[in-house]
Amino acid sequence: MNFTDLLTPVLFGQILLDGLSVSSIYILIALGFTLLFGIMRVVNFAHGEFAMLGGFALYCLWGQFKLPFIVAVPLAGLVVAAGSLVLEQTVFRFFYQKMFQSMIGLLGLSTVMMYSAMILWGEQERQIPPAFTDTLEFGASLFGENLLLPVDRLVMFGISLTTLAAFYLLIMHTRIGLAMRAAAEDVEVAEAMGIRTRVVYRQAFAVAIFMTAIAGALYGQIYFLSFQMGDQPLLKAFIVVILGGMGSIPGAALGGLILGMGEVFLSTLFGPSVSNFVSFGGVIAILICRPWGLLGKPE
Amino acid sequence: MMARTGGSPLLVIEGLSKTFGTLRAVQNLNLSVADGEILGIIGPNGAGKTTTVNLMAGAFKPTSGRVLFDGHDVTGFPPHRLAAQGLVRTFQSTTVYGTQTVRENCRRGAFLHLFPGFFPALVPTARARALRAEVETEIDRLLDWLGLAEFAESEARNLPYGVQKTLGMAIALAARPRLVMLDEPVAGMSAEETDHVRDTIKRIRGAGISAIVIDHNMRFISGLCDRVLVLHHGEELAIGTPGEVMAQPAVIEAYLGKGHAKAGRP
Amino acid sequence: MKPRSPPVLLLAGGLAGVLFLVLWPLAWRSDFILYIATLVLQFSIGACSLQLIIRTGHISLSHAAFAGIGGYASVLLVKSAGWPWHFALIGAILAPAAFAALIGPVLLRLSGKYFVLVTFLFGELMRFVATDWQGLTGGSNGIFEIPKPYPAMRDPLNYYWLSLGFSVVCVGLCVRIMRSEIGRAMDAMRESEKLTECAGVPAFRIKVLIFVIACGLAGVQGSLNAHMNNVITPGNFGPLESLNLVVMNVIGGMTNMGGALLGTVFLVALPELLRGYVEWQRVIYGVILIVVMAFLPGGLVELWGRLRGLVTGEAVRGTAVVTDET
Repeated sequence: MNFTDLLTPVLFGQILLDGLSVSSIYILIALGFTLLFGIMRVVNFAHGEFAMLGGFALYCLWGQFKLPFIVAVPLAGLVVAAGSLVLEQTVFRFFYQKMFQSMIGLLGLSTVMMYSAMILWGEQERQIPPAFTDTLEFGASLFGENLLLPVDRLVMFGISLTTLAAFYLLIMHTRIGLAMRAAAEDVEVAEAMGIRTRVVYRQAFAVAIFMTAIAGALYGQIYFLSFQMGDQPLLKAFIVVILGGMGSIPGAALGGLILGMGEVFLSTLFGPSVSNFVSFGGVIAILICRPWGLLGKPE
Repeated sequence: MMARTGGSPLLVIEGLSKTFGTLRAVQNLNLSVADGEILGIIGPNGAGKTTTVNLMAGAFKPTSGRVLFDGHDVTGFPPHRLAAQGLVRTFQSTTVYGTQTVRENCRRGAFLHLFPGFFPALVPTARARALRAEVETEIDRLLDWLGLAEFAESEARNLPYGVQKTLGMAIALAARPRLVMLDEPVAGMSAEETDHVRDTIKRIRGAGISAIVIDHNMRFISGLCDRVLVLHHGEELAIGTPGEVMAQPAVIEAYLGKGHAKAGRP
Repeated sequence: MKPRSPPVLLLAGGLAGVLFLVLWPLAWRSDFILYIATLVLQFSIGACSLQLIIRTGHISLSHAAFAGIGGYASVLLVKSAGWPWHFALIGAILAPAAFAALIGPVLLRLSGKYFVLVTFLFGELMRFVATDWQGLTGGSNGIFEIPKPYPAMRDPLNYYWLSLGFSVVCVGLCVRIMRSEIGRAMDAMRESEKLTECAGVPAFRIKVLIFVIACGLAGVQGSLNAHMNNVITPGNFGPLESLNLVVMNVIGGMTNMGGALLGTVFLVALPELLRGYVEWQRVIYGVILIVVMAFLPGGLVELWGRLRGLVTGEAVRGTAVVTDET
């Protein structure tokens, strides 16, 4: 195989664009996962199911109630986050700071949510109708050939980027964010400084689920919607977070970028199985050599 | 008190050094422990005492230097191989199996004498039964000897701190070592308990087992050891009988100094 | 911990139990119950061998993947290579064991929680390989029309006896290991590895050996199961299947082979009896898992202890294996 023939500039540009939009979704999912781990020390094996809920919420709000897409996506996130506070009260809070119990207990929660969704919404796969069908074409002067950019993808990218920016502002520039960072650093010290951890936990949980649900909504629109769709987002979150370092926020960003770009690049050039295999192999290798990830702290 | 240097040395350390990054934790240490000797290692916190033990006990590998035990080079041996040679240590903390009875703790210490090899262990033979019976009597003797008999069936985590420390020693002794390394055996103990431990260690020596005792309590060390090594910044500051060492001005200045008056009061 | 029960009593009880298991189908034959019982016996091998790994302090979420490797090995050796089943079974033991020997020395160096994560990913990877390597594994549809080990095994009763035989041997081996000095060393190293090593226990070597043995035993389950179902699919590989094996142990308190057997009966028989309500059954399963992990991480054994504690007024401390200290 001759790579220089395969990898034309226009293909490269296309990979970059697709990679960015995939990465942004992965980062959103992984941020929620890493937040829950970093602050509450729970490994949220039910993470994919929250993404699934986001997908179904978008299906209702946009597909059925016909709300404007730009409103429907954040609203879907809000609805799921608000609803999930019930689970925070009834399930999650018993697993805070208990990593091992949380792994198995939340795998239990994952099956509960998955099969409840099956009972509620049935087994069939659904399609969230696309929001925009136009495609932008540009870049002919630069690459000699047009780059194709579906508006759909552009809007999704915009939404996830906005959410990421909002999250950044929240974490870095608000009191809530400060408290979360303090709790992530050392819960006991944070408590001693007068931070009410129960409140911080609940806030962090809501933020994490909000981001996950938005990502899940977008994910569900790109691929498909079904009670079983949570598998993939969970795996992605897992891989991203382990790549970047469990609990590290910049690590989730870096890991998401690496995974998104790598996946698009490899699957375009070599097919999806190679890409899957490399991402799995890479993550297992990282876990073995550097279990705390690229940007995490060794214990 | 005379150092018993008559027998061949059991443990010899040659030029032992360990650096962590840029920190030189132990530098060029030379030492020998004779059969039947009790050697004290003393020094202020951060002097490299525990690092020295860890180097000798196989917890980490030295940057340079050699450790010879009974004439064999055992440098960098993992702890289980050292134990098989007869060199066993205790720990400052996590010294016992909390969820088990005192007796079971000792059985776990006696692994070397119960274990016939991986696959033979799966076949229940008369020999295995005999081994178990022998170890049980050995443990009875050990518990009697250390004054733990009354606690034999109690869970270790329910025992008072001092008894747990003694049990830590019992676990080490159950391996029937030729040399035990005791890492701060009296840390946090009352004066009475300290005296008890001192007597116990003397009796251990009486049974033909050498000991290296690490502590920063000079009174305890000097009342117990044949020789004392004073560490300071990872280097040997002085070595000799407790009397000789205490007389050296460098030791008084560096370690005993003005803190001595206070250190005496717990 | 209570003192070990005397071997004679254990042996007598075990023999009586096995005798009962051999004879009951002769007195009362129900093919449905027989099918469930056969499944339970097969899974008891996976659950008990997994417990060996757990008792060294590592919770593996890829044990079903190793059973799957054994299953595929056995099926391929019989169907493609034309081996008789008893030779294929040796392959079904050696293949996962060899694989475990390859990756075990690397994985077992990880601390508890990272081991869980890696094995989880490993299970996914195995399932992915099984789906993708279509030439060998038949892809996501799996391999069909797997012959029975021997023609006589078409009778479910004979297959039941075959499974019983292997279950007795494999579970017996697990029990034997745990009751030997190796078992004592394993329990000790789970509590404090450095203390155990100082007693002369080659902890790491024992961990790897146990991992290899346990994965080899899992292959027996894989083979027996595949040849009974006539079909094997990548679904047999997934982390959820592995989780199931972990949960069988969780229910039994994780440090007790009897508990693992109890958990196996519970988790295999319950779903089969509730057939037709698959969704509800999974929901109930999940709820039980949440409740047990949140309130009773020591499983039924802890529940028993607490109930007894209520009666005797004695406070019982948790003996959970699955804690953050592991």
